[in-house]
Amino acid sequence: MTVHSRRRFFGAGAGVLGAVALTMLPLPLLADVGTGPEPVPPIEDPRLKALAFRGVDAARSAGASYADVRLTHTRTRRFDLATRGPSSEEEAMTVGVRALVNGYWGFSSSPVWTPDELARLGREAVHQATVNAVGGSGDIELAPAPAISDGNWTMPVERDPFEISPFEINDFMQSIARGWVPAHLHGVIFSPWAVAFQTQEKAFASSTGSYCTQRTYLTDGSANQINLNLDAQNTGGATGLDCLTPAGMGFEYLTADRIPLVRDHSITEEIQRAVEALKEDLLMPVKSVNVGRYDAVFDAHTMATIVDSTLGRATQLDRAMGYEANAGGTSYFNDPLTMVGSYRAAAPLVTLTANRSERGSAATVQWDDEGVVPEAFTLVKDGVLVDFQTMRESATWLKAYYAKIGMSVRSRGCATAPDGVDAPLQSPPNLVLQPGSRANFDALVAEVSDGIAIKQASIDIDFQAMSGLGTGTIYEVKRGKRTAIIGQSGFLFRAPELWKGVLALGGSGAARRYGKRASKGEPPRSSASSVTAVPATIKQLTLINPQQKA
Amino acid sequence: MTDTREWRDAVPRRAPVRLVDSARFLSKAECEAIARRVFALARGGGQSQVAISSWWQGELRWARNRVNLASDRRDIRVRIERTVIDGHSGAVTTNQTDDASLEAAVRAAERNAAVRPAGLRPVPFEPPPVPRMLRPTTAIWSEATYALDTESRSDIVRAIIGPAEERKMLSAGYLEVRGASRVTVNSDHSTGYDAPWDLPYTQWTQAQLSLTVRDQHGTSSGWAGLSSYDWSAINAKELAVRALEKALASRDPVALEPGRYTVILEAQAVADLIEIVAGSMSRLDAESGRGPWALQYDEAYHRMRTKLGRKVVDERITIGHDPVDPALGLVFGNLATGAQPVTWIEHGVLTNLSYPRDYALSQLHTDTGVRAMAAYRMSGGDTTIEEMIRTTKRGLLVTRFSNIRTLESGSLLATGLTRDGLWLIENGNISKAVKNFRFTESPLFALNSLEQLGPAERVFRPTVVNDSAQPLTPAIVPPLKVRDFSFTSTIDAI
Repeated sequence: MTVHSRRRFFGAGAGVLGAVALTMLPLPLLADVGTGPEPVPPIEDPRLKALAFRGVDAARSAGASYADVRLTHTRTRRFDLATRGPSSEEEAMTVGVRALVNGYWGFSSSPVWTPDELARLGREAVHQATVNAVGGSGDIELAPAPAISDGNWTMPVERDPFEISPFEINDFMQSIARGWVPAHLHGVIFSPWAVAFQTQEKAFASSTGSYCTQRTYLTDGSANQINLNLDAQNTGGATGLDCLTPAGMGFEYLTADRIPLVRDHSITEEIQRAVEALKEDLLMPVKSVNVGRYDAVFDAHTMATIVDSTLGRATQLDRAMGYEANAGGTSYFNDPLTMVGSYRAAAPLVTLTANRSERGSAATVQWDDEGVVPEAFTLVKDGVLVDFQTMRESATWLKAYYAKIGMSVRSRGCATAPDGVDAPLQSPPNLVLQPGSRANFDALVAEVSDGIAIKQASIDIDFQAMSGLGTGTIYEVKRGKRTAIIGQSGFLFRAPELWKGVLALGGSGAARRYGKRASKGEPPRSSASSVTAVPATIKQLTLINPQQKA
Repeated sequence: MTDTREWRDAVPRRAPVRLVDSARFLSKAECEAIARRVFALARGGGQSQVAISSWWQGELRWARNRVNLASDRRDIRVRIERTVIDGHSGAVTTNQTDDASLEAAVRAAERNAAVRPAGLRPVPFEPPPVPRMLRPTTAIWSEATYALDTESRSDIVRAIIGPAEERKMLSAGYLEVRGASRVTVNSDHSTGYDAPWDLPYTQWTQAQLSLTVRDQHGTSSGWAGLSSYDWSAINAKELAVRALEKALASRDPVALEPGRYTVILEAQAVADLIEIVAGSMSRLDAESGRGPWALQYDEAYHRMRTKLGRKVVDERITIGHDPVDPALGLVFGNLATGAQPVTWIEHGVLTNLSYPRDYALSQLHTDTGVRAMAAYRMSGGDTTIEEMIRTTKRGLLVTRFSNIRTLESGSLLATGLTRDGLWLIENGNISKAVKNFRFTESPLFALNSLEQLGPAERVFRPTVVNDSAQPLTPAIVPPLKVRDFSFTSTIDAI
């Protein structure tokens, strides 16, 4: 029996293979692709296509009008400063079959990759759909999707974290945590820090004859904290690096000297800058809240969070139509089929686009989990709601609208199954708040004579993505300068008013990208996506003391 | 029981499912075989620990009065930890159980143990043995849950959707049944009920049903839900009727002035608030000066004094957990963290805060830890909700809270939103539906401003993680009437 080394298929030379073998044995999990059990082949192996289609064919034979299959092979490796080595390592293979029978979806999944199991899953998915056809007859429509003929795609990364020795990753993290502190800044601790690397190989097959394989990466170092002690009296504070949020990148996400749209300096310099900014804040005078309405400048980090929690949620068509009502909630676009195309969702200078193609973003793929190529699209154009996030089924709900504007009915490619064991569900794509004309955050602040500025806010939004509470570092702004920190402060907002009150936006030089995780569905599953945003000035935001009881 | 039969008799049933269908999740024999193979594959001495969990779920989700996904899913997790060189350990998790995969995982675990630089940790001392004790056992296996097959689930949902549709309302919801097993075996300790680091093979079931009914224009919303290991404890018809009635009764809500109100919190709302308290019960935090239970630094003992032993909430409140109570789920922690009954608050007095065994050995000079508050039973009273309403001159009736966040850890001041049904009570009667509020209040303040308590009941607890057999955290919680509850702003969301 030949041992199939996955390294061979990734273009690594023989010498590299030898060195890699010393430090990182492949984990030859088992699959039965029809010729008996053998170590699992790489996802590009043509025999996996036959395996996947066993599930599709079994579902069709049992009566499905449409069926699709996802085989996933996921590896996760987590490194921790505290445990000094891979603190956990996980590898899982799962497969799921989805079937459409008379307008009802059924789904079945398990961890076994064998022809018999694929056939069982196909039959079970049909059984689930057939028996649970509750709620009125009528077929559903799926937007057309061109068939994929043996497509293959690997997310481009510079350094595959699973090809690198864990010693190297370990040493790098230790050197960052210990080695960067300049002499004049004692009392700084960069700890804890955990970095998780994930790689997933996925094969997709559908009854339209599509077959494709993809390999994606996700790196997340956002669990970090920088503690600063200013003096012997323990005055100090804590901050963190926000340039390590989930991203579709490899080890270069940590080691590169700069990452466009994420950071302009190395991680070491970013830590120093974060400490300097924290020190500056700690030395600022602190004032108490003067409750009222103020023009507010938000930094890119806060705008990304606001985009993600308001428009990013409200424009999910399944949510707007009530399909998440029992879980996360609905949308303030509560009449989506009428509002699309005409509803004024934001000020005319706001345009929000979506894609799943940006290099380095967390939701980037070549095909979504229904085999659709996600093309870039616009959700809000010049302030008007012009589209929604959709999958193949929900895209057809906008049929009348697309016909009116002369667009064909196509899924926006938002179908996501985080793992083969999960059914595909609509999840957020990468979002981009298109830049405006101002240089940056400081330039926006310079235009405010009496207002506030907000950095790194976290947002609590309600179950219609409408009203929210934000807390973060809030500064008083007088005559264009940040003059004090407003202690114990927060802001209340209503998303429609906030977006219509955007007065100015930062330019492309001030754009920053952040990875976000979203939890959705029943049972809940989480997926990652990126939001690229610019700083903005918002009109008349309500400033409160969030800890003030009635 | 009779309600379950009603649903089932509508459609002829298939042959009964046999007691344990090992194809759906791993049986005891299969788990033992896996553990034996892992121990045999180990190289380099030391110890091995194998933790095997497996789960099966039947799921049915609907929205807009129509099923949108019916699923049958299952998965396995095998976590292998090898402790070799100088006590360093490495762990690897896989979901495949064939020999080749297990061998590769064992090698990878041994390799991870070696990655740690030598000499970084002192030679581990051998802690004193955990005192011998019997692990309490309780059966939370329900045949009613495990046998709730696809046909039965569809009958139930059909009967839930029908009434909502008749009233021109939109029903959305989720029904889930799960069967799962878990075992942890160590190579150097004997298996069996006395081994402190082992978890004997345990299988259990879980069921949940929740639904939201809204009107066609999204101007009203009602919710009801329940979880239990035993499907027969969940009355689907009653939940469906309750959600529908709440939705019908919450149409045309009016905005009220924010302020302090007497509130009648249904059990679900109380459980939502107690979650904040549950997360704060750490002795380490308290003795480091953090959280609501720290007092002040004691110079003599070089330790932060805590509120242990002091009255912290109303004397009618007792919160504890007894592992032999089937309504309270299972304890999966090892015996060293205590598989004993624990009471965290007794008649208003803080009696226990959680800590791990290491802390017990080094700081408190005792042998075992105290487990954290996750599943719990809270004491109740005799006042029904109807009686609470009758005796309220002016107040609000709350179905549940949502989107809760802690604002300040010292007082547990939190903020969140009411959801799915809020009504004004005037002179002993429900008078009108009210728009949702944001509250800014501390659950500790609420538990100190108690007027009346109702009989404790089980509440809805969603499955939190879907890719591993997580322990249950059921809660038995009373409805409460609380005075001076602070609502700070109105929201438009429904």
